[in-house]
Amino acid sequence: MSTISAQVVIEDPIGFHARPAGQIVKLVKESGLEVRIGKPSEKMVKANSPLSLMALKGKSGETLVVEIDTEDQGVADGIVSQIQEFLKG
Amino acid sequence: MSSNHKVLSGLGVGLEAVAAEVFRVAPAKPLPIPANHTGDKEAEMRKVRSAVDAVSSQLQELGAKSEETTREIFEALEMILQDEALFEQAVEQIDQGFEAGTAFVNAVETFAELLAGDETFEERIADIRDLGRRVAGHVHGISLGLDLPNTGSYVLVGEDFSPADTAQFTDAVVGVVTIAGGPTSHTAIICRSRSIPAVVSCQGAKDLLSGQLVLVDPVGDRVVVGADLSSATRALSFVSKSQEPLVSVRANIGSLEDAVTAATSAAKGVGLFRTELLYLSSKQKPSLQQQIDSYTEILAACPEGPIVVRTIDAGSDKPVPFLNMPHEENPALGVRGFRLIKEHRDFITEQLKAIESARAKTGRDVWVMAPMIASYQEAVEFAELARSLGEYKVGIMIETPGIISAIKHLGGKLDFVSVGTNDLSQYLFAADRMHSQLGALMNHWQPGLISALADIANLSAMAGIHSGVCGESASDPAFSIVLAGLGFNSVSASPSQVGQVRSALMSVDKDQAMLVSKAALEGLSAEQSKSLALEKLASFEG
Repeated sequence: MSTISAQVVIEDPIGFHARPAGQIVKLVKESGLEVRIGKPSEKMVKANSPLSLMALKGKSGETLVVEIDTEDQGVADGIVSQIQEFLKG
Repeated sequence: MSSNHKVLSGLGVGLEAVAAEVFRVAPAKPLPIPANHTGDKEAEMRKVRSAVDAVSSQLQELGAKSEETTREIFEALEMILQDEALFEQAVEQIDQGFEAGTAFVNAVETFAELLAGDETFEERIADIRDLGRRVAGHVHGISLGLDLPNTGSYVLVGEDFSPADTAQFTDAVVGVVTIAGGPTSHTAIICRSRSIPAVVSCQGAKDLLSGQLVLVDPVGDRVVVGADLSSATRALSFVSKSQEPLVSVRANIGSLEDAVTAATSAAKGVGLFRTELLYLSSKQKPSLQQQIDSYTEILAACPEGPIVVRTIDAGSDKPVPFLNMPHEENPALGVRGFRLIKEHRDFITEQLKAIESARAKTGRDVWVMAPMIASYQEAVEFAELARSLGEYKVGIMIETPGIISAIKHLGGKLDFVSVGTNDLSQYLFAADRMHSQLGALMNHWQPGLISALADIANLSAMAGIHSGVCGESASDPAFSIVLAGLGFNSVSASPSQVGQVRSALMSVDKDQAMLVSKAALEGLSAEQSKSLALEKLASFEG
């Protein structure tokens, strides 16, 4: 299976906190796909784990990499744009 | 009453009494000390799974019984509890030899340490540590929940109750007694809203045992061991002497629904419109037009009479998402209320503009006031800003002791002042209003508060400024008579209390109210001030 990767920006003034983490986990679980998120050139974490996402301690203004194990660009784009939406706060 | 009935004094919540058997909630038992397992790793993993599932379903049950905000909290907690990464971490701990409970607590601790040092997660860390304890408790068969009976009638007795505790109150809970806590504690607020008779801040209750019969007598501010309802203190009955109350009685509101409810009460106008709800829940700043629409809708729905609108009262403990509010060590003493003007002048200006447009559209008699004013300069700054933007009456909240002496210089600058007695008490007595051990200082019958109120009423009258009270104290019918006697021109109560407060204020004339307030001022303790005032009131009946 191939992996599609994209970038998102944390726009929420509070940073990457519990609420968006919960929203992303819910989305990822519903998609049934494996999705990983991390800071560029750092270890990626599974996006089905709210604690791991919170432990990234993403700050407002930081860029994150999103990797989705799928071949369907349309599905991937949809997930990425929703994650970006959650990170707007 | 026979002398073998032991009386335990506290602070009453509600007007109805109840007599029932005590159900004593014991302090949570400590968890066993960390230990190793006996070698069956699979069995330990199964124990973790089943304890996690059990705690999950407890959270679901709690969530289902709660209103929306609390339910969201429980859903988030459940998602964290079911986090696979947490389980994998627990498995690692089991591999190292720890038994299921210890392994889960250690796994939680690993994440707590990862999240530590970031203020955004402080409360979450406390939450997940609590989850860890609950799971470990389940593994060891130690209940950390309340395990309340579902049937029968019980008076719940405990130290104090958290939101997670009160969410578990069953119909069998007919009365509540807390050893700590005060009139503004979470327990008091929940009991008031669910009409459960309660006595809080009742030190003597620590010796009560399950099975004892007690009378919970909120009107008498006491719990009586072994007594039945015939010993309950009767609520004061007020016999109307006039058609109109001595001073006008307004209602406190915070939303459109409140405004609609208030309009069905006998309230003459609104004495406190808290505007935070319009902002606390929105991620982006509502546009000017959205604000105008909200205010127009709410102003139009308010009961007839003046409407006192308070500008935004946010702080780092109740942050508005779209205003940048950094964490503060002491939010109650930090940048809150009108102090936001330094960073957010545009926002407060826009709010005042929106209120002015809504005022002009609805033609209502609108008064605006700013919260958390501590100096003459701040009062004048707000007055000048507000008068440059609209034709409403302009005033300030009196919450800080420091502003009281400035009232005499504010004649001609302000049209009115309104006392928020909850915050005024907090700042007068240097007592956190939510602190469970300091509830007794939040009692509005405290002589120090009554004396400060007397000064505020006098100074306002001398300066020709209308004075009102919109704090919790104005919802106490007997206390509203004290306020009128001290010289306040209006009081504002929760919509559900407006009727009671009006009856009280229709039962006395100005001279009588002054005698009552004079009696209250002579007390050396909250209990004495209250009983002196009530004795004076009772003396008019004869």
